[in-house]
Amino acid sequence: MNLGTRKILDRSFTAVGFGSIAVMGIALLIVLAPIIYNGIGSVFFTGTLEHRNMLFNEFGRGDKEELVKENAASEVYRKQIYGMLDAFEAELETMEPEKKQDYLSKYGPVRTALQTLIGPLPGEETAILTRYKYGQTRWEKAEEKLHEFLYEAKWDYSNPDVMAKEYFVSRAAEFEGTSLVKLFPYVEKHLPDVLRPRFTVYWGFLTDSSVDSHIFGGIWPEIQGTFFLAVGAMLFAFPLGVIAAVYFTEYAREGFFNSILRSANSTLAGVPSIVFGLFGLAFFINTLKVSESKSVLAGSLTLAIMILPTIIRAAEEAILSVPKTYKEASLSLGSTKWNTIMTVILPAALPGILTGGVISLGRAAGETAPIIFTAAVSVGSAIGLADVFSSPTPALSWNIYNLASEHEAAAEIRHVQYGMVLALVSIVLLLNLSAIFLRARISKKLKG
Amino acid sequence: MMSEDVLKESGRSGAFIVSAQKRKMQKLAKTAGESILLLIASFVAIVVLFIFYFVTVDAIPYFQLQGFREFFTSSNWYPAGDPGEFGALAIIYGSGMVTLGSTLLSVPMGIAAAICLSDILPFSVRQYAKPVIEMLAAIPSVAFGFFALVIFAPLLQTQGGPILMWAWWILAAPFLLLAVIVISDLLSAKIEDPKRRQQISMFLLVVFGVGALAFLYWVGSVLQGIEIITGTNALNVSIILSFMALPTIVSVSEDALQAVGRELREGSYALGATRAETIVKTILPAASSGILAAVILGVMRALGETMVVWMASGNSSHIPEPWFNYLEAIRTLTATIAGDMGEADQVTGSARYHVLFAMGLLLLVISFISNLVSERIVVRQRKILSGQ
Repeated sequence: MNLGTRKILDRSFTAVGFGSIAVMGIALLIVLAPIIYNGIGSVFFTGTLEHRNMLFNEFGRGDKEELVKENAASEVYRKQIYGMLDAFEAELETMEPEKKQDYLSKYGPVRTALQTLIGPLPGEETAILTRYKYGQTRWEKAEEKLHEFLYEAKWDYSNPDVMAKEYFVSRAAEFEGTSLVKLFPYVEKHLPDVLRPRFTVYWGFLTDSSVDSHIFGGIWPEIQGTFFLAVGAMLFAFPLGVIAAVYFTEYAREGFFNSILRSANSTLAGVPSIVFGLFGLAFFINTLKVSESKSVLAGSLTLAIMILPTIIRAAEEAILSVPKTYKEASLSLGSTKWNTIMTVILPAALPGILTGGVISLGRAAGETAPIIFTAAVSVGSAIGLADVFSSPTPALSWNIYNLASEHEAAAEIRHVQYGMVLALVSIVLLLNLSAIFLRARISKKLKG
Repeated sequence: MMSEDVLKESGRSGAFIVSAQKRKMQKLAKTAGESILLLIASFVAIVVLFIFYFVTVDAIPYFQLQGFREFFTSSNWYPAGDPGEFGALAIIYGSGMVTLGSTLLSVPMGIAAAICLSDILPFSVRQYAKPVIEMLAAIPSVAFGFFALVIFAPLLQTQGGPILMWAWWILAAPFLLLAVIVISDLLSAKIEDPKRRQQISMFLLVVFGVGALAFLYWVGSVLQGIEIITGTNALNVSIILSFMALPTIVSVSEDALQAVGRELREGSYALGATRAETIVKTILPAASSGILAAVILGVMRALGETMVVWMASGNSSHIPEPWFNYLEAIRTLTATIAGDMGEADQVTGSARYHVLFAMGLLLLVISFISNLVSERIVVRQRKILSGQ
């Protein structure tokens, strides 16, 4: 090969390396950007009057006088809409039975669509589920629902070879010649007057409990559950891990037994997380019976086992990176080995050990599979500290899965899901960033 | 060694001051303390034993009830039927499929990134690249799963063809360009006359270049025509899993590359090799076993991952038609355990409950073996490198 080609190869080799690192960075961006953007939307958004009504009724927040005024202003336009509905219903009575039947079947969906848009219509029974008591609380959702109200979605199955295509039929056209036809342009024009959208900052998303399985309200029970589980896991794993690391670094002698212990450590680190879940179910719940069924305690214990190897490794590295001279100086002053460990080595290694602990805390907070069978429930209110030994808890990681894949209205509450993902990701990343920051400081300090 | 000597001396000097009985007590306390330490350190080993024991104990009843044959040979998975059918072949196949897919994507990228980190990037840049990898490793799997399900799957479903085409162009075009340059260079290398050599080389370059472009375009247009029926499929999961396995592969192989000493690198440079040649011909072979260990760990990460596959693989238990069709929904072992336990834990004691533990045992055994293998490999490499 001539030199030119070799140089090109060399350069392109470098480019491939840079490329893969760039791909990783871009992947991180692609994953994080929509999560951050949409997640922020769960706190900062354009809220409607319905949102403010909901907050006032469910959580007792908001200015009552202001609300009364706003509702009165909205009522002016609502009255018009209700009037049109009444007029059409009266008109229906005068029609021939066949035509009436036909219009009635079309009129039902219109009423339902209108109800989801602006809230319960007069003359209906009070709904039991909170979700039917209010209209759209977020303006961008309201615009979506407005489209559903104006147009009926239909599917075109005419060509069996390709996937069915969706197309829209204007509802106004279907009611041509009746009094209802005026309703559609009226609602389209005056929806902002009815719902009164306004920029809203809803910090309650982080501190409120959920209303009607996350249709309204916040994610506090999940945040608290995640906190309990992760901190509980650390309470068990951190002391054990540090003591084990002290043994491995200071006391263990090379030999068969020691190598088995080390193998056990790396085996434990490689066990798939779902197997930890199975083990937690079979051992902590079915055999030890630490609780009747799922509980925070069982979940924490399972998570503790999972993060133990990480903590041991981090603590070992931290202890090993303490300069040997520290130890020798202490021993030469007549201190015992145990005393040296407690007063010299561990304090010097503490930042490193804490770094590992913080990273493990993040891992415990983010992990889902081990808590599925041991601690997590889909719906529930925040539990008290006294209940951790007996009751399960909702947790961010589990509820993200649950809301995104199993919730009956998963597509309606995307903003809640994004909010949860952002909350979880920022908890974990903040923990990791602080660990990175801590480590940078340590390495600076060790360099002197 | 030195510290122990110091300790011994201090113990001896203590003998003059402390009575024999007290010394005995001290020694006893020391032994007791050390044994407590040992007990806590062996806690991990005990836990590993317990995990094996309890998963196996709950897995055995399944094999007693149903035997081994159905589990490994049938792909009829109807655990809720009466009598239930527990053929896990398609599920095992699905696990293998996404693991293979993510390995194919993540291994080349991971090794390239590791080389870049250890040999190419200057230290100042490396400081910023490492946190990126750490953050990628730190993002919870459920967040990746959410991304795969809510963002990536609809995108694949609506824009699947164009996405595949762009991915093909971006990935394949640079490599084909390189191949064209190298091939035309190699073919014209025999010619003595430098002027003619250059002409022929240019000619070959153009011919092969046009051929390569046509090939790129042809495959690209085929890919663009593909219509993806469901976005939650093996391809989606493989891509996401590959990003989750990347950090493991990068950090472990980087350690392996760093373990190869400066001497080898300097020797190779002294012989006139370029950096690429040094890395490919000298460093990679020396670090190969460590990199293999990294790959094994990465594979295990993909195989053991639950949330992403549960949310975004489609969870349909069948072997795709044809067998390599990554655009079909599949189901994996981990997702089956996670998904079926919710219904099975009311029927504790039935085959339906214990079959999930059988799957867990299978995962556990695979992870245990591959862990042992990768550990052996790393130990051997360290021995070889330190022996040199």
